[in-house]
Formats: sequence, C-alpha cells, structure tokens
Amino acid sequence: MYVLTWLWGLLRRRPMRVAGTVAGIAIAVALLGSLGAFFAASKAHMTKRAVSGVIVDWQVQITPGTNPVTAGRAIAAAPGVVKSLPVGYAPATGLTASAGGTVQATGPGKVLGLPPGYTAAFPGEIRFLLGAHSGVLLAQQTAANLHATVGTIIKIGRQGLPPLPVRVQGVVDLPAADSMFQTIGVLPGAAPQAPPDNVVLLPAAQWQAAFGSLQRTRPAAVYTEYHLKLSPALPPDPAAAFADVTARAKNLETRLSGGGLVGDNLGAQLDAARGDAVYAELLFLFLGLPGAVLAALITGVIGAAGGERRRREQALLRIRGASPRTILWLAGAEALLVGVLGSAIGLAGAVIASRLAFGASGFGSTVGQAIGWAAIAALVGLALAALTIGGPAWRDARTLSVRGARDVVGRARRPLWARLYLDVVLLVVAVVVFWRAARSGYQILLAPEGVTSISVSYETFLAPLALWVGAALLSWRISTAVLSRGRPALARATRPLAGGLSGVVAASMSRQRRLLSRGLMIIGLTASFAISTAIFNTTYSKQSVVDAQLTNGADVTAATTAATGLPPGVFAATRRLNGVAAVQPMMHRFAYVGNDLQDLFGINPRTIGTATPMSDAFFQGGNASAVLAALAARPDAVLVSEETVLTYQLRMGDLLRLRVQSARDHAYHLIPFHFVGVVREFPTAPKDSFFIAKASYVARVTGSPAYQDMLVRTNGSPPAVAREVRHVLGPASGAVVQDLSSQLKITLSGLTALDLSGLTRLELAFAFILAAAASGLVLALGLVERRRTFAIAAALGARSRQLASFVWSEAIYVTIGGILLGVLSGWALSFIIVKILTGVFDPPPPHLFVPSAYLAALGGVTCGAIVAAGAGVIRALRRPAAGIIRDL
Amino acid sequence: MSDILVRAKGLRREFGNGQSPVVAVAEATFEIREGDRIALVGPSGSGKTSLMHMIAGLDEPSAGVIEWPALGRAEDLRPGPVSIAFQGPSLLPPLTVSENVALPILLAGGAEADATAAAQVLIDEVGLSEMASKLPEEISGGQAQRAGVARALVGRPRLILADEPTGQLDRASAAELITMMFRHVEAAGAALVIASHDASVAERMPLRWTMTDRKLQTEAPCTF
Repeated sequence: MYVLTWLWGLLRRRPMRVAGTVAGIAIAVALLGSLGAFFAASKAHMTKRAVSGVIVDWQVQITPGTNPVTAGRAIAAAPGVVKSLPVGYAPATGLTASAGGTVQATGPGKVLGLPPGYTAAFPGEIRFLLGAHSGVLLAQQTAANLHATVGTIIKIGRQGLPPLPVRVQGVVDLPAADSMFQTIGVLPGAAPQAPPDNVVLLPAAQWQAAFGSLQRTRPAAVYTEYHLKLSPALPPDPAAAFADVTARAKNLETRLSGGGLVGDNLGAQLDAARGDAVYAELLFLFLGLPGAVLAALITGVIGAAGGERRRREQALLRIRGASPRTILWLAGAEALLVGVLGSAIGLAGAVIASRLAFGASGFGSTVGQAIGWAAIAALVGLALAALTIGGPAWRDARTLSVRGARDVVGRARRPLWARLYLDVVLLVVAVVVFWRAARSGYQILLAPEGVTSISVSYETFLAPLALWVGAALLSWRISTAVLSRGRPALARATRPLAGGLSGVVAASMSRQRRLLSRGLMIIGLTASFAISTAIFNTTYSKQSVVDAQLTNGADVTAATTAATGLPPGVFAATRRLNGVAAVQPMMHRFAYVGNDLQDLFGINPRTIGTATPMSDAFFQGGNASAVLAALAARPDAVLVSEETVLTYQLRMGDLLRLRVQSARDHAYHLIPFHFVGVVREFPTAPKDSFFIAKASYVARVTGSPAYQDMLVRTNGSPPAVAREVRHVLGPASGAVVQDLSSQLKITLSGLTALDLSGLTRLELAFAFILAAAASGLVLALGLVERRRTFAIAAALGARSRQLASFVWSEAIYVTIGGILLGVLSGWALSFIIVKILTGVFDPPPPHLFVPSAYLAALGGVTCGAIVAAGAGVIRALRRPAAGIIRDL
Repeated sequence: MSDILVRAKGLRREFGNGQSPVVAVAEATFEIREGDRIALVGPSGSGKTSLMHMIAGLDEPSAGVIEWPALGRAEDLRPGPVSIAFQGPSLLPPLTVSENVALPILLAGGAEADATAAAQVLIDEVGLSEMASKLPEEISGGQAQRAGVARALVGRPRLILADEPTGQLDRASAAELITMMFRHVEAAGAALVIASHDASVAERMPLRWTMTDRKLQTEAPCTF
C-alpha cells in the first residue's frame, strides 16, 4: 500500500521529474522500435525483391543415365515445387542462313526444346521481339549474325547428323540467358561462362525428333533440364531464406540420388540479398544504437538532476525508519512506473514515426518480427528506467551518509576512466582498428560463394565506436582541464558578459567543471551523432542516385539491341522536348578480346559528361576529366575495365587487338586499339568487363554510324521525359526507354537495395529531437540543479543581468565546446563509417557530402534550444524560489 | 532625530492558498531607525524569519505596508543598504569562503581588488583566515555561519539583519561574533536586528522585540 501512496505522491508532487524521465525513455524506445521496424521490414522487402527478380527458381539438370521421366516425377513431388517443366538442351555445331544471295554462317550454338506452356509458366524468361510467340524462335543476336528474320530458313548443324532446316517464326530476346545456359554443378568460385551467342528455341516435340537419338548416344552433350518454380513462402530474412532454399536444393539432390544437379538461381539471388541484409544490420548498429545510447544518457542526466532531491527524500525515509530494502522497493516501483509509461509512449511513438517516415504499419513484416522488436524496445526502456532510477537509489542506499550527501562541487577525485586514460586508449584502438581495416581494403563482409553463413568482421566497428566514446571522454578531460587551469582566460572571455563579476563567474565555472563538462560532452555526442548521421545519409542517398544513374545510364535512357541502332532523327527530336537539358548518343557493340566477348561502347569523350555525370570514381586514378581527355586525344584510344586489365596483364599504352564485327561483311575483324585508361564503372555498362572507345573510331572500323543508346539529362521530371521519348521513338522501334526514378525503385543489388529515404527522415528527425533535448534540457537541468545557488545569489542582491551572466557564460561555453567536439568527431565518424562501409557504396563516393541546410538547421535548433533554456532559467531566477528562501 | 530606515504597519504574511493558509506573521507594526540594536526573540515557528525576510525585501507581505524611507525602493536594498545573514547554510557552493564574502561588493559593482581586500579583513576578524580558500563543503557549519556574518558586514550596509547568527556556535565564539558585529555596526552607524533564541545575545541588545502568537510586540512606540 505504501508503494502506491509513494507513487501517487510522486505523480502529484514531482510531475516534471517523472515526465522528464518518461520522455527520455520514450525517445530511446521510439528510436529503437522504429529503427528495428525499418530494418526488419527492409530485410523482408529484400527477400521479396530477390525472389521476384528470379523467373526460374531452380534448373535441375538430369545426369546421364537417369530416366528424365522418372526424375521429373520425383522433382514435381518435391516439397515446395509449384511448377516443373522439362527443357531440352542440345549443341549446334553451327547455324547457316541464306539471304540476299549470300550465305551467313555462325559458330557453335545451343538449341533448346521448350515444352508447351513454358512461356506462360515462366513469364519474362523469353521476351518476344518479332513474329510468333511459339514455334521456331531465334535469339536476337543470332538473327543479327545470320541476317535472319521471320520466315528465313536456317540450318542447324548437328554432330553426326545432317543439318536440320527450320523456318524462323519469331525473334526473341533472352534476358536471363546467363542463368538459362549456366553450367550446373561447377565448383564454387569457378569462373562464370558466357552464354552462347547463337541460340535457337524449338518446340519440345520438334527438338525431340531432331536430337532424341543424340540424347541417347551423347547424353553429356544433349540433356534435359527441369525448370522449376518454388512456393514463394520463404523466411523474411534473406539469410534464413537463403539457408532454407539451399537446404531444400540439397534435399532434392538427395532425393534424386545423384540423378540430377540443382542450379539454384533463387539461392544465388538470395545470396546477394543476404549480403545486403547484413549491411542493413550494420547500418542499424551505426545509425540506431548511438541514438539509443544518447537517449539513455539524456535520461540519465534527467535522473541525475533529481538526484539531490531523491537523496534528501531517501535520508528522510531512513530517519523515519525505512530500511534500505524498503527504499529500494520504492525506487523499484518508481523505475517500473516510469519504465512502463516510457516504453508504452515510446512504442506508440515508434508506430507513428514509422508510419510517417516510411509508411510502415507495424514493427515488422511478420507478427513474430513485430512482437520481437516491440519486446526488445520495451525491455530496453525498462532497463533504462532501472539504471537511471534504481541504480542511483541502490548505490545511495548502500553508501549514503550525511557527509556523503553533501554537494560535491569541484575537488572530487578524477573518475576512474580518467585516471586510466581510457579516452586515449579508445582513440588509439580506433586508429589501430581503422588502420587494419584500411589495410584489408575494408573487407568487413566475408561470404564465400556456396557457404551458407556470412562472416562479418564486427571488430571493425570498434573503430567508430571507440572514436565516438574516446572523443567524448577526451573532450571531458580537455574541458575539465580548461576550466580548472584556464580561469584567468575564462575570466577574460566572460568579461563582456559578466563585467566585474567575471572573476566570480570564471571561478564558479571552474568549480562546476564536472557539471559543465558533462553538458559539453552530451551536446558534443549528440551533435556528433546528428552530423555523422546526416553526412552518411546524404552521401548514401547521393551515391544511390549515382548507382541508379550508372545502372540506368542517365536521367532517361533509350536503348535498342538492333544493329541498325536507334532512328537517326530521334536525337534531334529528343533535344527539342520539354524538360530535356542534354542528349548524348552512345554506340553499343561487342568485341572479342581473346575468346571473351565483351561490350564495346562508343562515346564522344568531350560531350558525354553533358548528359550523365562522369564521376571520378568511375576511373582508376580518380580523375574523370584526365581519363576522358586521354581518350579524346587519340583516335584509337580505348578504356578497359579493371577485370580485363588484370586478366590480360595490360599496361598503359599497350596495343590491343580486338575482334569487332563489321557492318559491311558481318565478319569479325582484328582492329587495333590503344589502351589509355582503366574504367571501373560506366553508365549502362555491365559491372564486370567492357570497353569504352571513341564513337567516331568505332563507326569507322565497324562501317556503321548507328547508335544503340541515347542518354538524356533532364531538367524536369524523368518519368515525364521518358514518356515523351517513348512517344518520339514510337512502338515500332523496339527500343526500351527507362528513367532514373523508376530505376531507383527497382535496382536490386548494392546501394539501393536498402532505401534509406524513410530512415533518413526518421534519423534526422530524432537527431533534431535529441539535439534539442540534449542542449536545452541538459543546460536547463544543470542550472535547475543549482536553483538554490542562484536563489542565494538573488537573495544577496544579484540582479537578473548578473544572474544571466552566469547562465549565458556557461551556456556559451557548453555550446561552443559541444559543437566543436560534435563537428570534429562527427566529421571523423562520417569519414570512418563511409570508409568502413565502402562495400555498401557502388561506386565509392569521391568525397563526403555535407547537408549544409540540415546542419545549419540543426545548429539553429541547438542554439535555439539553449537560448530558450537559458532564457527560461533566467526568467525563473528573477524571483528567487520562495521555498528556497524560506529555508535560508 | 535619526533617520527611519524601515517603517511597517499591519504586516501580515500567509503561506499557501485555499481555505486554510498558514499564517507566518499575523501582525507587525514597527519602525527601525539608524543605530538601533534590536533583538527579535520568540519561540521556534513564531514568524521571526518571515518577518526578517520582509524587512530585507526578500519577501512581500500578504497584507499591510512596509517601506524603507531612508534606504530606497525594495529592489534597491540588496546589495547595498541592507544585508542579511541567513539562518541556514547559505554560502554559494562553487565559491570559496573568500569569494563568498567578497560577493556583495562585486554584485554592487565594486572592484575585484577592493572586494577581496575588504573580504580578507572580515575573514580575519571572524577567525577564518585559514579557511579563506576553502569551499563551503570543506568547512564546518559554525565556520560557514561566521562566513555568512562576514558576508553580511562586508558591504558596510546601513541595516544588518542576522537570523540566528550564532545558532551553531559555542557561547564564547558567539559572544565574540556579536561583539565584532557591534563594532562594525557602530563604525558604520548602521542598525542591527538579530533574531535569536539565545538569551545572552538578546541581553546585549538595547531593544527587544518579541513575536508572540505570530504577532510582533515592540518596546519602542511608533511615531505613526
């Protein structure tokens, strides 16, 4: 009963103390809850996107000697298999076609036998370009090589059998050719093989008639694959989904008893997604935990502000006969009340914040996630309450004496961490860990191919953590040193405000150095958190645009795979469109280096930058202008991708002979190029291997001035311009038009896999709240803690102006010191975080992006909160508290 | 005729609000003149401290009138013509004894050197020379009380109010402190009001005011 009386008394008599602690806990819980919700939902979203990007989940290759029909039944009966269709694979020794009096021939290729209903079962696996959607279908590049079109008769070369003549009924594109023609069962880490250049798709019956006999005699070359679609019910976490799918694939292989090998396309996609998911977890560590720690610190400060009063109440209780056990019960009840209230408000706040920031309706994508995150956040709230209320009460109940209860001002012993130089140790640890991470090329994520678990170098995260804490503690040390030894300087500095009282103000500040240094440290930590978060998020979002631009090529792109390129008039027509700032054409051809067929892009190096940003990060050496100038300087100059340079041991200036197809005779000819630079990434280019050359040279050596790509920079809405460009091109062109905004939403891997825009809103909003709370509240509470001191000074006759000089001197010191610490450590933290998370960025940012407007607003909020707190305190001090005066 | 420093009529002070306020001072009518030495006596809770605070301008009466004809407006009384030595611990925790004692001069706009010198003289007089650089948390309650008296005297005020200034002192030290206060009051021609339980202190004062049932009874007739 007395516990309830005590709690009721607290709520009635100490509402501000309770409300302050509840607010601190609520902020911590809301931050944790909403961030947890965000990352849980993000991971589930990653899994969904990974799954939706896969058309054929598994390809099961039936091994020689196994009856495909029997195996097919076992496959169809495997758990989770929704669709299963057999596809025949056979080699073609070559393809020939007669057109315009000439005979065109190609090298070896593949002939697939597709069962009825294949395209309906796996939509997107085959894209129809011309003619029929069934029958004999020819891959687009093969059609180009053979000069074939609908109605052309081609002959398929078969080993040991006469060529098979077929009439082409349609031309198709195979967007998933890489997985469709993958070699199943190769060891993890083996180099991927390029898909065949020449592909013919036949109806299953026709294929069976043409290659059935070969399948019996040459089962290794002519075989059947089952293409499977799995049930979409997967664990929401990509890592768990990957483990689940991998285990199921192994299970199927076991069921087939060696009769089939599984090509796990879904697993491969989830493998990439789980890497992104781990990065999401790491971002949570970076962006979420410091905020929660700050909220906890602020709650601690609020709790400490009532410490003196609590000690007095405790002393009274003990005088009245309460045992330490009773006092602890009361403190426990207070902690529980505050913890439950703070957690409940925080969880409600998290739901509202999540909804406002990223439209989430709960704490996760599943009920389990929702309960898990809500429980974790609430437990943290309760723990915080126990630490900030129960902890001091427990300590006081054990150690409090009349002497000990007296105020300790300035001559207390230095804290243990200061005597152990923990700040210096932490900073050294930060430097050493960062140096080690830099030496390893910031490889913090290790996910060997084919291995289910990802190993994360979590110790790398000690660097920013140790820097954050170390810098804060060092600032405490420096601040206390300045305040204790720099009194003359402080007195001079405060003279404009305090006049003749400057010596006393300096003395007072010097003796209050623990309190002031604590305030400075908390403001610094908050500013550091806000600055590093803002810089990281801005850099992240800038780079996600660069990533999307790289993938998309420009704000708007139009691309065709036709050798004849885009219609010549389209470039001028597009330039005239509203919202178009610049247009650049780009050639897209293919060239052989050795046996590798790679993409060859022809550009105008002097003007390409007008349509799409040429980032320094695209080129080795980090200087886009210099590399493009080198390309422009020589007619046959070529930029080579990093991978090719390493594979072929190229050196700058080397003569490079590439086999390029001529438009005149459609044969590949050796063309000399000179290697002048290394390109890492390029708009629209694939991630691995490609060449960039001058368009004029490519046009000359291929005999075709056709441009396959058009890059458009807009000064309006990219989707609107894309619509206009589609209109200009018309439906007959077969060109694909894409815009940046849409690309940002669909880019699957790397940077944009995690859309941080909602998180950024959330983080920046919390940073604002924390900055205001830390600066205003910490200062106000620090001053309120000394109400008695100010009341005495007022009773002695101190004028408002004189009291204000104490308040403002302290406020300015704490603010300037805190902001200085925040700016320095915030910048260093951003640098370290961006470096450590290099893997998130694709390409790495050339420099940190500073959100000036946000930081200015943040500075404004911090200073505004301090001015408001100071003004409020001065107003309150104008008339000394009657209760205090009565006690004098 | 000496100047009237304080004049009060029908003073009343209540605390709290609602239907049952606590009456601290029910009625007080008095005058304090330059050079007066007044002992304010009465049992605990009789309203002595509340009356002292109203005289010092620290608190406003709930009813009645108080004015300071020779001292100025209420807001100009401290620091300057009126000073008060409080009953409880009242040294500013972040300042040393010396800085605490010098504070009234600095608050009044005096030079730091003058304030420090004047404070040192009084610190020596109250026997705290060795404690001058100590913080309040480092000295005893009696020493803090002596420092509080020194602070009340340092600005040479015209009216000194001392609320139980010897409450934590032994008899000899208390006598010494009162003597020292008389000496300073004499030199400055100031008035002195001491609220005290201590009969030996009250006996040394020419005038004795008594708080009975929260009402003030004065020995000298008022001129109004």
